[in-house]
Amino acid sequence: MSVPLSQMWTVASYVLTQRFRGRARYPLVLMLEPLFRCNLACAGCGKIQYPGQILRKHLTVEQCLGAVDECGAPIVSIPGGEPLMYPEIGRLVAELVARKKYIYLCTNAILLKERLEAGVFTPSKYLSFSIHMDGLREEHDEAVCKDGVFDEAVQGIREALRRGFRVTTNTTLFEGADPERVRQFFDAMMDLGVEGMMLSPGYSYSKAPDQEHFLRKQRANELFHRILSSPKRRWRFNQSPLFLQFLMGKRDYECTPWGNPTYNLFGWQRPCYLLQEGYAESFQDLIDSTHWERYGKRSGNDKCRDCMVHCGFEATAVQETFASWRGFRDTVVATVTGRA
Amino acid sequence: MEAEKSLEGWAPEPAAGLPLARLVDLAFDYRGNTTVVKRDGTALHGYVFNRDADAPAPYLEMFDAEGGGPHRVPYSDVRTVHFTGKDTAAGKSYAAWLARKQAEKAAQVADAPLP
Repeated sequence: MSVPLSQMWTVASYVLTQRFRGRARYPLVLMLEPLFRCNLACAGCGKIQYPGQILRKHLTVEQCLGAVDECGAPIVSIPGGEPLMYPEIGRLVAELVARKKYIYLCTNAILLKERLEAGVFTPSKYLSFSIHMDGLREEHDEAVCKDGVFDEAVQGIREALRRGFRVTTNTTLFEGADPERVRQFFDAMMDLGVEGMMLSPGYSYSKAPDQEHFLRKQRANELFHRILSSPKRRWRFNQSPLFLQFLMGKRDYECTPWGNPTYNLFGWQRPCYLLQEGYAESFQDLIDSTHWERYGKRSGNDKCRDCMVHCGFEATAVQETFASWRGFRDTVVATVTGRA
Repeated sequence: MEAEKSLEGWAPEPAAGLPLARLVDLAFDYRGNTTVVKRDGTALHGYVFNRDADAPAPYLEMFDAEGGGPHRVPYSDVRTVHFTGKDTAAGKSYAAWLARKQAEKAAQVADAPLP
């Protein structure tokens, strides 16, 4: 079990409150992108492909807090861009901690050691550095298209742990990943002492025949099955065990695109973190005026057919935990036994 | 692999098969600055980040080239959109990167000395 009890309790009471109130669509994790600027240029990363004047801009802390208050999600994930390049990241995090929001600061960790030494952050149970790690040295440096980043990230992790911060990792796996190398990577992260790991398949979209869509899903399920079917007791995952079972093909879920709403320079992104089909001015407008029936696997939308990404399906998994005794029991059993 | 096509440098005018709403959609998807040419002869150069064709008065939203804005421009004021800025996404897809890596590896194998 790697999610702290206080965080579990906060999420559980939030979800049950929403259900008690009969709220059909509610957010679980706010994806807050204060800037698009980054110190890496990973292949295929759409977050940094903007003209210079956009990359130079960033949200104010007040805009960020306005979005956090408006949305009300108990967890705030701060991706980007690279959030450690945000000039007011220390003040933003302090304000979020004061609001008792659980924060996942998603960083490539290149600047982490420097920011920690500068005293930008204070350890808190509400703050976790979520370090982008796509595998061992060779795989990670290739994924971020730059040599040496893995070693810098490891340095950052060690420094953060030494100073008493919570540290997790987030890993995106694409088709072709070597299951045995991924398992070695899990061992390496546990050896480092991280609190837990987060996994997600990468998002890919291409127009393809039905059979190819089916095969892609099958290949993804097989990959995660080979990685997770005999997990080591020492591995800790900082995410819903039901989501991991979904990745392995043991569960069939529909997407919850409003579960992880995204706010950035352009407003509230429709419909989800991955697809960029327009922007709403307010969170309520996003919820009320997005044509949700056009998204998710059942919609037949080509862009959604192969998607198994955490930002759409982890919220579904969390909801299942609280939707039935069976979902709750399965979550407890998987959490206690460590078996996905 | 088919080469990725970019709209960079394209200066279309709306036509029967290419309505203004479609042009604005293309500008919204384009990862570079565009020039929004207005009916009064003026133009706004910048990044189109949003549009709503279903609104009672359809509009687009953009940050200008200096980062000012957002500016909201009704479709009714727009004559056309030209793709004048550099396409920042051109050739940077994951598929393109993968193809480059595979070509590099193939070249390394070809250049390796014979045993």
